[in-house]
Amino acid sequence: MNAFAFAARSLIRQPGRSALGILGIAAVGALLFDMLLLSRGLVVSFRDLLDRDGFDIRVTATDAGPIGGPRLPHASPIAAEVAALPEVADAVPILMSDAEASHPGGPPVAISLLGIDARSGRHPWTISSGHDLEDVAAGTSGELLVNQALAASLTAALGDEIAIRVRCGPGRAPLPPSTFRVVGVAEFPFDDAVQLSGVVRRARMAGACDADGRDEADMILVSSRQGGGPDAAVSAIRRRRPDVHAATNEQIVARLAVSRFTYFRQISTVLSTITLLFGFLLITVLLTVSVNQRLGEIAAVRALGFSRARVAADVLWQSALLVGIGGLLALPVGVVLSIWLDAILKTMPGIPIALHFFVFEPRSLLLHAVLLAVTAVLAAAYPIALVTTLPIATTLRNEVVS
Amino acid sequence: MTPAEQPRLVEAVGLTRTFPMGAGPVHALRAVSMQIAAGDYLAIRGPSGCGKSTLLHILGCVDTPTGGTLIFDGQSVGALPDAERSAIRLRGIGFVFQRFFLLPMLTAAENIEVPQAEAGAGRRERRERTAELLEYVGLSHRATHRPSQLSGGEAQRVAIARALANRPRLLLADEPTGELDRATGDQIAALLDRVQHDGTAVVVVTHDAAIAARAARTLNMADGRLVGGDV
Amino acid sequence: MRAATIAGLLAIALAAGSAFAGAIPADSIPTILVSRQLREAQGLAIGDIVSLSSDPTGAHPQPFRIAGSYEPMPNPMLLGASRHEVRLHLPDLMTLTSDETNPLASESVDAINVAVPAPTDAGALAQRLASRIPGLVVRSTSANDDRAAPFVVLERFHLAIAIVTVIASSIFLLALMLMLVDERRETVGILRLIGVRRRRILLHVLAEGVVVAAAGALFGIVLSVAFEGGINRFFQWRYDTSLVFVRITPAIALRSITFAVPLGVAATFASSWTLLRREMFLLIRR
Repeated sequence: MNAFAFAARSLIRQPGRSALGILGIAAVGALLFDMLLLSRGLVVSFRDLLDRDGFDIRVTATDAGPIGGPRLPHASPIAAEVAALPEVADAVPILMSDAEASHPGGPPVAISLLGIDARSGRHPWTISSGHDLEDVAAGTSGELLVNQALAASLTAALGDEIAIRVRCGPGRAPLPPSTFRVVGVAEFPFDDAVQLSGVVRRARMAGACDADGRDEADMILVSSRQGGGPDAAVSAIRRRRPDVHAATNEQIVARLAVSRFTYFRQISTVLSTITLLFGFLLITVLLTVSVNQRLGEIAAVRALGFSRARVAADVLWQSALLVGIGGLLALPVGVVLSIWLDAILKTMPGIPIALHFFVFEPRSLLLHAVLLAVTAVLAAAYPIALVTTLPIATTLRNEVVS
Repeated sequence: MTPAEQPRLVEAVGLTRTFPMGAGPVHALRAVSMQIAAGDYLAIRGPSGCGKSTLLHILGCVDTPTGGTLIFDGQSVGALPDAERSAIRLRGIGFVFQRFFLLPMLTAAENIEVPQAEAGAGRRERRERTAELLEYVGLSHRATHRPSQLSGGEAQRVAIARALANRPRLLLADEPTGELDRATGDQIAALLDRVQHDGTAVVVVTHDAAIAARAARTLNMADGRLVGGDV
Repeated sequence: MRAATIAGLLAIALAAGSAFAGAIPADSIPTILVSRQLREAQGLAIGDIVSLSSDPTGAHPQPFRIAGSYEPMPNPMLLGASRHEVRLHLPDLMTLTSDETNPLASESVDAINVAVPAPTDAGALAQRLASRIPGLVVRSTSANDDRAAPFVVLERFHLAIAIVTVIASSIFLLALMLMLVDERRETVGILRLIGVRRRRILLHVLAEGVVVAAAGALFGIVLSVAFEGGINRFFQWRYDTSLVFVRITPAIALRSITFAVPLGVAATFASSWTLLRREMFLLIRR
């Protein structure tokens, strides 16, 4: 009978204790797994979100970012220059503002409004009904794309006319609303659960602010040419236009990881450490008590000829079985737990629906297994020391005397 | 061949064993010298605390002497590392304890298989040998029973079978009938007689005169020393 | 004004300011407050003259004298972000950031904070103002505020973690109790053999369980209080913030005891009952 079979029998001999050990490891293992998912979840999810629209570079006026930072003046020539670079496939200026939208006669609702040039085929949204913005002659009603929430809020259907009053910047008095016609409903990847979003053409948006001719954009979305990659495109943009700030999605994510996501990484580290410590304590105590209750038995098998390595292997396998089975159970429990925790955290205001805090990566699974394996070994260390240094003769004598 | 003419299996010269205690050292053995021949049948008697179990543990390579030399089957074992001493115990020596020390989560047959598996015997070989030993001790019908389902006498018989699993040359029994009634004790003693008759040297530590009388030689101990008997 | 921090809008060109200091009389230089983090990062001191510009290139800077330093309001959503902020007198900020093309620039602000004599009147006043001035967003600070939502969500998140931890701890506790009770197997068996009833043994066990659980809970609270300072100091240093990360309040301590004592007693009771259910001969058998 090898050490593995021996260890399994020893655990089965004390079913209650073994079951509790396994369940305890399953509980803390689930939490550990979730913390590993959380440690990079936001980074991975946010990167995925940025990459989803097909644009892998963002160009802004400064490194302050498009929200809160100054706008790019003369956005169209900048975009044209950038688009002309051999490393760049497309460049789309985007204008962002708050606005109020209302159905004729209805109450206004606050919305997030985007202004974009309709010439480009690639846009950071997905049309779910109707059609995308098209070039139409000036003078006709401007076209408007809305998200599902805004369409529902205004009970607007395709073809309806919506009045939009754009908030034209700090200190600007609200101007009379402009009328736009709903041509399509789209999904915007960065919308949160309650966000009402709309898109019009950038020129019409500037016109609504009595700023015709002011060719501004908060950001230029750029997609790099296949084969070249975003880094080459960013370098080219910086060489051509050193007065603007260009960053790849990867760089943006890295900056946010340090500034915005760091709290969750810290929580993840702290809780991972605590769960590992807990698991270590649980298994060490279980095995140590088990060994102490079987000293006579252990001395007897040592007297029969079991080597120190053999009795140590028995204890190590017991630890491995407890932690291994518990660790396996921890995975489905962890998945369920992560769904619950993710749902809680996503209720934070401003969190895009498509963003997740807990994201599965194979490396998380591997790290989970490695950490639990190390815990199993460390937890067995003290009981192994007990069995390997057990004075056989003294123990046998004490067992008889007791 | 008489026992005196048999080759020496164990030779102990000047064995001492001292246990350092808080209240002062305890000299459990004081310069004990003795031999055990192949196929010998030796009883060691003495009052409680005289050092008989300590001597048995040293002879069985379970404990190391503080002084003196111990030679088992021509090899000095005093300075051997634990791994080699374990190997000697596994293949050369069988142990029977007063409290049986069967593994409670294994059946009788599995308890007998454990030392064989540890010695590297294949599954078929183990099964055959186990069946043979269960037959030898008269417990073939109890092969699948756990120790908690056996009587004291049956448990001790399984323990003897386990001790014989790897065909040891020496069987050491420490008060094998200590927890058994007279009748059952006699059965165990008869079994030990048979083991010796079949060629294994048997050393029994006992304070039971009736058990000791069955041995070919008796050593008497008192206060850590041999004080008479057939050295 | 767009919902952005001052730090986002202003490109702070922190020049030595000495050129300005020499050209303009000191008492006519407007004063500002700088955040502690900005002061430390730039090596500024109270009384220093700095120049601020709202242009990303630093064009058209204006001099200001640092009158003091302040600690920005802690915000867990900005952990790790550099809190480089400046506070100006409103007219100075308007002058600095005015849009020349906007004739109303000098009359426009982002928000007006209103203090009412009786806080209970805030909601009613907010409604009256909103109805009188269409387009105005009026919000009482005591009403459900979106800005408190991150804290509420984090509290729920931590509570969820705590629930899982309590479950795991309960399992650990039950395992420990089973082992402890098993060590008394023989004693319990002998007591039963000599005639002591199960009920009496259970009462004894219960009393012991209450004492052990209460002592354990109190020890746990003492340990938490001991760790509280260390944890807060570490994270305040790590993130350069005055945010308090852990606070053990009497309510939390009471809640912990309310959970821990019954759990401990229940675990002791459950494990003892599994022992007492067995036949007494099985208890004393080796």
